[in-house]
Amino acid sequence: MTASRRVACLLVSDLVVQAELRAHPELLGHAFVVASGDEGRDEVIAASPEATRANVCTGQSVAHARAACSGLIVRTASPARERTARQSLLDAALSLSPRAELAERSAAPFAAEVAVFLDASGIDTLFESERHFASTLLAHAEAIGLAAVAGVASSRFAAHGLARRLATQPADTTLQALSPSEEAAALAALPIDLLAPDDALAARLTRFGIYCVRDLLALPRTALAQRLGSEAVRLAARARGEEIEPPLPEPRDRRLEEASDLEHAIGQLEPLLFVVRGMLSRLVERLEVRGLAARHLDLELELEGGGRDARRTGLSSPTLDLRVWLRVLALELESNPPRAAIVGISIVTEGSAQRGDQLDLFRPRGPSPGALDRTLAELEALCGSDRVGAPRVADEHRPDAYERGPFELARVRDEPARPDGGHAPPGSLAVRALRPPARAEIRVEAGTPVHIRSAITRGRIVTISGPWRTTGGWWSEEGRYALDHYDIQVSDGIVARLCFDWVEHSWRIDALYD
Amino acid sequence: MGSGSPTRAAHTRPDPAASRSLSSRADRLQALRHDLGSALQQGLGMEPDAAACCPTGLPELDHLLGGGLPQGRLCELVGPSSSGRTTLALALLATKTRRGHCAGWIDGADAFDPVSADAAGVALERVLWVRPPSLREALRCAERLLETEGFPLVVLDLTAGQGSLASTNDPPTWLRLARLAAGTQSALVVLGSERRAGASAHLALELQPARTHWSEGLVLLEQLELEVVLARHRAAPTGRSVRIATARSRAA
Repeated sequence: MTASRRVACLLVSDLVVQAELRAHPELLGHAFVVASGDEGRDEVIAASPEATRANVCTGQSVAHARAACSGLIVRTASPARERTARQSLLDAALSLSPRAELAERSAAPFAAEVAVFLDASGIDTLFESERHFASTLLAHAEAIGLAAVAGVASSRFAAHGLARRLATQPADTTLQALSPSEEAAALAALPIDLLAPDDALAARLTRFGIYCVRDLLALPRTALAQRLGSEAVRLAARARGEEIEPPLPEPRDRRLEEASDLEHAIGQLEPLLFVVRGMLSRLVERLEVRGLAARHLDLELELEGGGRDARRTGLSSPTLDLRVWLRVLALELESNPPRAAIVGISIVTEGSAQRGDQLDLFRPRGPSPGALDRTLAELEALCGSDRVGAPRVADEHRPDAYERGPFELARVRDEPARPDGGHAPPGSLAVRALRPPARAEIRVEAGTPVHIRSAITRGRIVTISGPWRTTGGWWSEEGRYALDHYDIQVSDGIVARLCFDWVEHSWRIDALYD
Repeated sequence: MGSGSPTRAAHTRPDPAASRSLSSRADRLQALRHDLGSALQQGLGMEPDAAACCPTGLPELDHLLGGGLPQGRLCELVGPSSSGRTTLALALLATKTRRGHCAGWIDGADAFDPVSADAAGVALERVLWVRPPSLREALRCAERLLETEGFPLVVLDLTAGQGSLASTNDPPTWLRLARLAAGTQSALVVLGSERRAGASAHLALELQPARTHWSEGLVLLEQLELEVVLARHRAAPTGRSVRIATARSRAA
């Protein structure tokens, strides 16, 4: 077991290109550039490897790049997509370690990279080796659409340098783990540029003929401080592993955002849902990698001409089912279409833990929590969240009052089985509620209803019992009720519960005996 | 392998105790079916036995059905209004939920009355009540619930209270529902005014209101007497009927 501190660095060297490929996987293998999209000077800010091989480079104007590479695909930069890709890399790190953080943005020539550090101490208890750990890390990054490299060493500085060397070397090696014994030698061979000294120091180091870390470490400290300044001393101390690094934080935030700026405004629902589907799919992949599920989604639409359209959708239980979430969002957008064309989309969720299952030896096996969550989510997507749940008897006197609560497995399991219990004899006379109640025209003779005409039944009232009066809610104008109920049998065979509403002064059928 | 090997002998030598309890081939087969469960029954094309039934709690009806409604099958309860379909379905629901099972009620007619169900003895917290907005959603909800293990009873109420539900006689739909019910061994009970599932239904009960009983003096609806006719059964003679008295619960 490794007792010393170990740090892994997961690095994406070309964030802008990777963010574009993540959102548009169909671009893989094609020559494309990401342009700034400025009105006056539209210049290339990132180019795919295929475009780079065709002599396209960053800083060129788009027209120049098109001239250099026929068939070049030009995409407009999206800060939202880049922000999302950056957070996705952190998700990949958090899938294997609770302690991880994004590295600070680097200056040129590493301005395009994004790196994340994660605590790899003690991972040999979970993985065969650090190489195995690093390859799993890369697989998780690939699962969320990012091609990365990974280095494992004793410090952030060493792991970062290692990862940068992997990213810049032409070989296909994408991971490397350095043991403490071989770390000094490996770091000594690194080009000094990989340590990202500031421009002034880099120029002075070049003037002195210092090109690799070994050259820097060979210089005496005093002379180094006198001739190259404190920054060079700090650089040498980091290269020797003498710098004290703060511990990696353990992020508690489970907020995940998937955002994108659209190249063209979308005014119709179908293409909008097409884009949303891709974003949801990527969000679900990130949640899956982190072992989380979503219970609520916040959809924020940036409207053409300014303005935002924010809406929140939710399910009673967390789920990772893409089909369910897509249906929920589709229902939401269909019922309340955006008031203008969309130019930007953001989907945010707070990751929730997925539920485990513990079966009971002595009770009937009910649905497993995972399967029940998926079923409830799909039923809510089909019918609406207010139409799925467990029925409850309302705690009030109004005869037609009822409640619906969530269908919870805990309540199902906690309630003891009563095989022979219950106060009701088998086959108790049941009623079917009419929602809404059916209006009825009643002919009354000597204060008693004798004939009924409604959409449900029509005919002579053969037998009648009642009235049974219920009043309540007198303290509020909206909630007050005064009802006279009758049980009636009509000549056509229907047995119904007839009601006279004293507030509305109308007859209606509330329920049918069935 | 020789016939005289110890292993062979151990398998072929009759065990006196076992001979007493499994005296006949039928008993042995019954024990084997019990051990291997319903999967074997499906594989051999056998009919489910009484142990794989969902009792209604009404002795006369359970006797008519040979123990109750079969698990893993599609059953129809049909009849006009006030014929007692809901009463029978709630009796079934009460029996099932009181034993600790979960059940689904797909309320295509939006007519489920929690007060009435509670009075009938249904453990409401074990009922997943779904109120689909249309017939199409009701059928899809039924499919989804039948795909989920752990709901041994699913009631699909397609009774059109005010004619809001269109009729569906689409055979593939019912065939699919019947197969899903067989897959998870759930009893699917369809309530309606008329039979819709056709050959996909394992059994169908047609109900007719026979008589109402009103108490003397203070006039009260006390009892609804139903006539239940076994209109279809794949494994039993049809045309037989029973009369069931459904009493008003005091709690109602």
